[in-house]
Amino acid sequence: MSYKWIGAILIVGSCGGFGISLAVQRKREEAMLAQLCGILDNMLWELPFQLTPLPELLRHTAEKQKGNLGALLWGLAEQLDRQVLPDVLSCMEAALSDTILHFPRVNQLLLQLGKSLGRFDLSGQLKGLSALREQCGQQLTELKADRDTKLRSYRILGLCAGAALVILLV
Amino acid sequence: MICPWKELLSVLPQWLRGQLAAYAEELQEIRLRCGQPPELVLGKGSRWLSKTVTQEDISFCVNTASRYSPWSAATVSQGYITAPGGHRIGLCGEAVIKDGELTGMRTVHSLCIRVARDFPGLARRVHFRGQAMLILGAPGWGKTTLLRDVCRSVAEEETVAVVDQRQELFPPGFPTGKRMDILYGCPKKQGIEIVLRTMGPNCIAVDEITASEDCQALLHAFGCGVRLIATAHAAGMSDFRQRSVYAPLRESRLFDTFLILDRDKSFHLEEIYP
Repeated sequence: MSYKWIGAILIVGSCGGFGISLAVQRKREEAMLAQLCGILDNMLWELPFQLTPLPELLRHTAEKQKGNLGALLWGLAEQLDRQVLPDVLSCMEAALSDTILHFPRVNQLLLQLGKSLGRFDLSGQLKGLSALREQCGQQLTELKADRDTKLRSYRILGLCAGAALVILLV
Repeated sequence: MICPWKELLSVLPQWLRGQLAAYAEELQEIRLRCGQPPELVLGKGSRWLSKTVTQEDISFCVNTASRYSPWSAATVSQGYITAPGGHRIGLCGEAVIKDGELTGMRTVHSLCIRVARDFPGLARRVHFRGQAMLILGAPGWGKTTLLRDVCRSVAEEETVAVVDQRQELFPPGFPTGKRMDILYGCPKKQGIEIVLRTMGPNCIAVDEITASEDCQALLHAFGCGVRLIATAHAAGMSDFRQRSVYAPLRESRLFDTFLILDRDKSFHLEEIYP
């Protein structure tokens, strides 16, 4: 009988843990989107001010960033310095394949960033970056809007799924 | 002869690099057109390579020449980029016009890459004694190369301020003169005013006078007692006399020394004293 209870507790615990890990992932995604917004803001301030070439701009920005996004910017700057790939998008794809980000939404935005960089006129370049910044901000707002409800749901769903399994098995 | 060959190769697609080695001595221009094979303009005629140039190749050249930042090259709106080593890349494609002004290019379909070369000692036999020297020649006849060495030669004796708008005259790696100050990337009109005010030069040098405002700036500098060296597009004296943009220079009799280039890149000196 005690084995059954231990098993039941483990099932509930693991399902609850899964729900909590989903909630944590979501929080991380939110933090990464906020970080990406900051990166885009930094680029938008720096570009018209000094017309900094892209590899330097990425390095300056990467110095202030932590985690995988910082590593990705360094990787992209290195790809650009190698001068092997034809455009920024290809360099971004190569950098993304070397860095694991886990979040498809962030990956998609970064690919869009790669696509929008490398315009011929500064105003066009700034407009492209501003549009991406807006999109990034919008996604962040959406994530934040139902954050508390979703996080609670993930945890409760995990615990309930565990409890349901216990009832079925015990 | 100095040619930043490594820098030239670095901006070209990899498949093209290996095919250029045989033409290193005589290569003057590389013309890349989307959907056509590359054309190599050599000292005597052209040669076409076999492989077709793609849009990706063109993008590669533009991106590597501008370090993937074409927007940071202010000269895109004038239709060119200066690549490392001073090689000038002319751009042709779909232009972006805003308020009637060319602001950039949407897409680029053709490139004209002019190979920069330096011949130290080329102007050894030129003795600049007058007040202002003008180097005349058609495009591709070697005006910039000659101006570079004249500047070096004059800078042995006196202070020369060079306004190098296109960063082609003295790109990194090319020897400069002893008494030479170089202002890079600044438009000629503003550049002449800046060096005049701040550097106290005996002589100011600029490449390619193409606008009347450049002529006015030269006249202003001359009025301040500075000697001048410049280049202009004209295939000889008669051509120079016919071009309306140079009218203020002719009327003011600013230039008294002319270095006239020929198609074969030889040159002769004409001194005109009032």
